[in-house]
Amino acid sequence: MATNNSQHISQQFEQELQDIRSRVLTMGGLVEQQVGNALKSLKRADLDMARSVMEDDRLVNDLEMKIDEECIQIIALRQPTASDLRLVTVILKAITDLERIGDEAYNIAQKTLNLTANEHSKKNYSELSKLGNHVRGLLRDALDAFARLDVDAALNVAREAQDADAEYESFMRTMLTYMMEDPRTISRVLDLMWSARALERITAHTHNLCEYVIYLVEGKDVRHLSIEHIEKVLDRD
Amino acid sequence: MAEHAIDISSIQRGSKMNAAEETTCLEVKDFNLFYGDKQALHGVNMTIPKNRVTAFIGPSGCGKSTLLRCFNRMNDLIDSVNIDGQMLLDGDDLNSRSVNVADLRRQVGMVFQKPNPFPKSIYENVAYGLRLQGVNDRATLDNVVEKSLKGAALWDEVKDRLHESAMGMSGGQQQRLVIARAIAIEPEVLLLDEPASALDPLSTLKIEELIHELKDKYTIVIVTHNMQQAARVSDYTAFMYMGELIEFGPTDELFTNPKKKQTEDYITGRYG
Amino acid sequence: MSDKSFSSWFKSGTPWVWLNAGAVSISLVMVVGLLGLIAVRGLSHFWPADVMEVSYTEPDQQIEVLIGEVIETETVPASQLKRIGIELPEGQISAERVLVKVGNRDYFGMDFRWVNAPWLGEASFPEELLSIERREWGRFYGRLVAVKQQGEVVASGDDAYEELQQRLTRSNDIIDAIKDLEYTEIGKINHGIESIRLDKRKLELDGVAEDSIRFAQLAEEKTQFDTDYSELQKQLAVLYTDLNRDQMVVKISDGREVEMPLAKIVLIHRPNAMGVAEKIGFYGHAVWDFVSGDPREANTEGGVFPAIFGTIMMVMIMAVLVTPFGVIAAVYLKEYAKQGPMIRLIRIAVNNLAGVPSIVYGVFGLGFFVYFLGGNIDELFFQASLPSPTFGTPGLMWASLTLAILTVPVVIVATEEGLSRIPRAIREGSLALGATKAETLWRTVLPMAAPAMMTGLILAVARAAGEVAPLMMVGVVKLAPALAVDNIAPYLHLDRQFMHLGFHIYDVGFQSPNVEAARPLVYATAILLVFIIIGLNLVAIQIRNRLRETYKASES
Repeated sequence: MATNNSQHISQQFEQELQDIRSRVLTMGGLVEQQVGNALKSLKRADLDMARSVMEDDRLVNDLEMKIDEECIQIIALRQPTASDLRLVTVILKAITDLERIGDEAYNIAQKTLNLTANEHSKKNYSELSKLGNHVRGLLRDALDAFARLDVDAALNVAREAQDADAEYESFMRTMLTYMMEDPRTISRVLDLMWSARALERITAHTHNLCEYVIYLVEGKDVRHLSIEHIEKVLDRD
Repeated sequence: MAEHAIDISSIQRGSKMNAAEETTCLEVKDFNLFYGDKQALHGVNMTIPKNRVTAFIGPSGCGKSTLLRCFNRMNDLIDSVNIDGQMLLDGDDLNSRSVNVADLRRQVGMVFQKPNPFPKSIYENVAYGLRLQGVNDRATLDNVVEKSLKGAALWDEVKDRLHESAMGMSGGQQQRLVIARAIAIEPEVLLLDEPASALDPLSTLKIEELIHELKDKYTIVIVTHNMQQAARVSDYTAFMYMGELIEFGPTDELFTNPKKKQTEDYITGRYG
Repeated sequence: MSDKSFSSWFKSGTPWVWLNAGAVSISLVMVVGLLGLIAVRGLSHFWPADVMEVSYTEPDQQIEVLIGEVIETETVPASQLKRIGIELPEGQISAERVLVKVGNRDYFGMDFRWVNAPWLGEASFPEELLSIERREWGRFYGRLVAVKQQGEVVASGDDAYEELQQRLTRSNDIIDAIKDLEYTEIGKINHGIESIRLDKRKLELDGVAEDSIRFAQLAEEKTQFDTDYSELQKQLAVLYTDLNRDQMVVKISDGREVEMPLAKIVLIHRPNAMGVAEKIGFYGHAVWDFVSGDPREANTEGGVFPAIFGTIMMVMIMAVLVTPFGVIAAVYLKEYAKQGPMIRLIRIAVNNLAGVPSIVYGVFGLGFFVYFLGGNIDELFFQASLPSPTFGTPGLMWASLTLAILTVPVVIVATEEGLSRIPRAIREGSLALGATKAETLWRTVLPMAAPAMMTGLILAVARAAGEVAPLMMVGVVKLAPALAVDNIAPYLHLDRQFMHLGFHIYDVGFQSPNVEAARPLVYATAILLVFIIIGLNLVAIQIRNRLRETYKASES
């Protein structure tokens, strides 16, 4: 059952729901920006940008706490049901995932600081940046699907997230060969691998966001199911 | 990694209740009711499961009380009422001519919105139903009165003043007395018409707790304005609007993921 | 006062409050005034008034001595006096005249006399003046000369009075014994003989032969009764002889000495010699005699006990009859009948019944109950007593029935009102437990409507106790030979006629031969009737209040 577009009798309640919706989208945008900036700083070895990303993580955490508090209040005071209930619980979960994504962006920025101490090869970073852009694109699409409450878009993102896994695997293999060829590069490559790992984690959280969108719109809990099973549950195969 | 079998259907169902496995107690088939020329119930089809609590919710005037009163034929008291369609209790049509209405009402008991104890003693109130059936033996009555008052969670509060007037009790106590009076004759079905709407929140919770305990022995149908109460207390919920049954389903499903937009609108408080 | 403040005072509603208060006050004053007037006139009747002795000189006449009580005085204008031939001296426009009760009707011809105040001399109140209440001929005033026993003087002078009272008590006791004997013992025998006669008649009607055993049996029983009767007659004769043993000699105001058997005397007292405490005691006795005694002298003297008894008996029987009628009718009209134009018509008719003049009910009662129903009952069950009617004549039963019909609309309306006040919730609660409509009515609704039914009954009783007109035609008599309840089976005789306080008032006030003597009695009986009705109402109200407490249901 799609979520409701009609107006609540209580204007205040309506306002509160709108509030958390827009805030979570704001948080999503902020987090997306963080990921982008972190990757950029890594590619350009921009120390200032890296530092600003690490500072702005504070903002992400603040948003998470604020939205969390608002959601709890809505539950206590408004006893939301049906789609309203699903919206609130989904937002509670989503902000956790978004906050983790923010943390991963922080980690990537941190690695930038480490890596600029040493010399680097543009070639390696380009592969990471390819993966990075892909992941960033997935995140953007997932947030988009959330904003538009589009189940099909969310399913697509979930499918593509699986593909991203394959890319990650190949990147890791490349890094391993580098390490085996030239042991002097190990510490650098390790940093790169940690960054790739961070991107992999961001993908996983993005996948969660897609599941949340499906639950919000369809009311079906599809966590931990494979894409095929999800499609079956939603009668979309 | 072994994959444990995934129950697609239970994920699709979204509820811990399984309607397919329930026994039917009351059945309503294409039921229409008219007050003179005005139609109050339109083609209602419903199955009330045995030993479960079914709640009727809906805005004022939607026909939920009217439908409830059909189950024990209290609408017979209103001259202008005409009905059409079938209503079955354990498979037997309860509107047929051969049915003795008084007997039906012994099997289908009712508790009203405003507590209505008789102006007699507490003992006599509970014993009323049995005396009607001709039981006047003191020992039997004592037994039943005690059992019913215990069943209504009222015994401890009144056991020392059984012969005092029932009118001296608080609203919550009176309503529990009325419930004790109803269960004293051991009906099959208990109809509760907004039983807690005239009571304070604490008494309301006590009544809800009582309903939960009574579920094991009786089939309960409750009409309520208070959606949270319906959500707390019932296993199945029926949403009615303008004399029609809009949606009927397990309560946990109806309140998290209702199928019809009208239901959703009502439950979340939107009248868009 | 400017216009504005007057109109604002008017608008504020205060004048209406004053109007209401005024109306209530006037009503209150009228009621209190009426009751007060009756009470004073009636209750003063029993107070032992002083007896005066006064000389009276009519112009050109001899001096007379008058002994008696002053009843009232009035001022008469000169013109009226001229008309009866009395000339007043010049300059006097009016004179007073006094009504004196001189008693001794058998000696003076009349017991009340108007005398003119100016011609009266000094009044004195000698202590030895006697006021005597007699069984015949009314009151007697005089001085005691002597007490005689069988013609011989046994006491005279100062101690004669003591002796007199003793012997009077004795003679009153004997009279009681005689009455007892006549009423109970001989009454039983008479009743037995009467029933033998009826049995004989029955046998005759059934065509049984004259020489059969049953006739013989009856004859035997009659002989037994006759023997008993003669026994009792002998006893009576002895008592009568005893009774007539004593006499007294009294000197009256004109100097004559007369002899009077004590048997003819009820009470003697010396009002001028009594102190206040004694008078109060006397007053209490007088009231008690009034309430518990039998009437004498064509109801102008004596007590009104049979009337009290009759009134209460009739009201009770009426209550027993009207309550089921009224309640069942109300229950039908309210609960069972289909509400439509027909029922509305019936209800209007019932309400209008209450407005029918009560004498019309009397006529209806006479025609339908007495002649038709009573006549048929006599034909069917009391053949033997015919042509003397048992039920085909006015009696207690028909009177109660007539009044029941008169008051039934009130009960119906009150009961319907009570039934409609019972909240639907209670009825539904009972029905929901599997009760039928009848069971709900009997077990829950009617008990709760009991206070309303009592209200209806109170109103019915209040109305019935005061109605006189219909009763005159269906059962009330001036003097009833016996009470409706006695110790002969079937103990409650519904075919007997009875006395009624309301009718008694009418009879005493307007039908009695001696209006002046009867007047205080009228007031006394009226105040007694008022007290009895108040008493009945209070009892009923108490019962209703108690019922209200028990059934204080959720009217809130």
